[in-house]
Amino acid sequence: MLSMQNISMVYRAGLVETHALRNFSLEVEEGDFVSVTGPSGSGKTTFLNIAGLLERFTDGRYELDGRDVSSLSDKESSAVRNEKIGFVFQSFNLIPDLNLFDNVDVPLRYRGFNANERKKRIETVLETVGLASRMKHLPSQLSGGQQQRVAIARALAGKPRLMLADEPTGNLDSKMALGVMELISEINRNGTTIIMVTHDPELAKMANRNVHILDGRVSNGDIEVPLSKVATA
Amino acid sequence: MEIGPIWRAMMRNKTGAILIALQIAVTMAIMVNAISIMQEKSRMMSRPSGLDEHNLFTIQSVGFADDFNERVTIEEDLAALRAMPGVVNAFQTNAIPLSGSGWSMGLQTEPGAEIDGTGVGLYFVDEHALDTYGVNLIAGENFSPTDITWRELVTNVWPGKTILTVAMAETLFPDDAMSALGKTVYINDTQPITVTGIIEKMQGSWPSWDGFERVMLVPHLLPWEDTQYLIRTEPGMRDELMPQVEEMLAETNKGRIVRRMRSMDEIRERAYRDESSMIKILTFTIALLVAVTSLGIVGLASFSVNRRTKQIGTRRALGATRVAILRYFMTENFIISLLGVSLGAALTIGLNILMIETFALTRIAWYLVPAAMLILLGIGQAAVLGPARRASSVPPAVATRTV
Repeated sequence: MLSMQNISMVYRAGLVETHALRNFSLEVEEGDFVSVTGPSGSGKTTFLNIAGLLERFTDGRYELDGRDVSSLSDKESSAVRNEKIGFVFQSFNLIPDLNLFDNVDVPLRYRGFNANERKKRIETVLETVGLASRMKHLPSQLSGGQQQRVAIARALAGKPRLMLADEPTGNLDSKMALGVMELISEINRNGTTIIMVTHDPELAKMANRNVHILDGRVSNGDIEVPLSKVATA
Repeated sequence: MEIGPIWRAMMRNKTGAILIALQIAVTMAIMVNAISIMQEKSRMMSRPSGLDEHNLFTIQSVGFADDFNERVTIEEDLAALRAMPGVVNAFQTNAIPLSGSGWSMGLQTEPGAEIDGTGVGLYFVDEHALDTYGVNLIAGENFSPTDITWRELVTNVWPGKTILTVAMAETLFPDDAMSALGKTVYINDTQPITVTGIIEKMQGSWPSWDGFERVMLVPHLLPWEDTQYLIRTEPGMRDELMPQVEEMLAETNKGRIVRRMRSMDEIRERAYRDESSMIKILTFTIALLVAVTSLGIVGLASFSVNRRTKQIGTRRALGATRVAILRYFMTENFIISLLGVSLGAALTIGLNILMIETFALTRIAWYLVPAAMLILLGIGQAAVLGPARRASSVPPAVATRTV
């Protein structure tokens, strides 16, 4: 599903170079659920940005769903993000002036679906996250957990092969976080590959695999398979 | 197109959009009515005088010496002027078209003090006048030398012949202007005067007068100390001849001064100076209004882009191309501008009705409203292009930034 080989990412500010990722390599199989952990500044977000084609990397090779995406144009990257990747952000990133229906509709419009198809998908995903009855509400009228569910619905609406979640429970209390994680796990069980950045070791354990990043590299003993998941894998 | 979501989002945050739409509406109302006034002034200024304007100039002679002889001086001046190489013709007159200073009388088709005469601009001329003016005689005949007499300084006696413009003949004989030829009309209520010629077009002295093109020519020379000549030159020789004429007149008679030498072009420019200034002021006002409105649009769009940077990044992350972001902001502005120009169309017509009733202005031309709508929509799109391009360059990685 995702294959990164020796990815490097260097930020340059004048004469200062910051190596966010160094020879970073990672393979993620179809249907996998990978958690990515590491201390602040270790390169987790950079990795997520590159994986989601939000940023270009300096060096290396990246294949997504069998396609080399190392040198796609901006337009091609947008299309790949729209069709293959679903994003879930820490701050939900819902558009405050749009109701839930219109928020979920955003990526579908960029996809070019007709109105009927969009409506069907929106209703289905909002039903999945348990918010179908509130589709005319504004994000501000929902709790944090509900807003994150809408964000997940928005990510799911395009039926992506890969979901990238950036600290999806970072702004939620433990009860809401658990609900969101259960939803993400269910999505994974339904076949969607998930890569989740988190700093919470407990949440990381809910994934099939954990990748620990330190100083822009996958640290030693990098790939761990939590025992709790062995039985269900 | 994202018109639905854009509209719904805008309606939840509408103060800025409404203010800009109102600004566009007011700009349009003022702009269109100002253009309409400019058109009216421009039409007024471009009315043809019927004269060979570019080759005409006038000069004034004012006698002051005790032995100054008006009649001899005028006859000698005219003979000298007509003999000058490059001069086509010249004559003495009481007033110059467009000059703002002249005579008017009333003409009527029936005698009687109880009848209101039709106002007419009056020029005293001789047989050289038609050729000097360069006007087109379309019926009848020019005055002959024997028609020309000296007018007494104080008199109510009028010569028996006149030449009218078509506009005057039409006013007196609305059914058939050309039937005026040979007819007797009355000046000073009861004094008969025969129309012996009709000229196509000529103008009076006062451009804002509604009888501006109603003109009569009367065959008289004027024995005045203060008099003026109108001189026509060969094409292209006017500027060269003007100082020569001034010098010649000054040299041939030391008992007078010559002054106020002006070309017809200058007289026209002076005649329409107010209108010309008004056009410039209105043009400046329109430009200023449009600039302020454009800046308002730029300001609102820039604020909107800055406020929504994270949102733009999120849209990019969700699959929006740069073009899609650009289109989003252009569409948003188009909707605001469309609201503005729609409201502006109603406001424009309302303001025009008010101005017609209050200042007797003319109705705006039908095409001005749709043209202004298109222009303002275009200006709106041009104004928002910069901020929209800036928005489209927001990188998708902004979506994952926590600050």
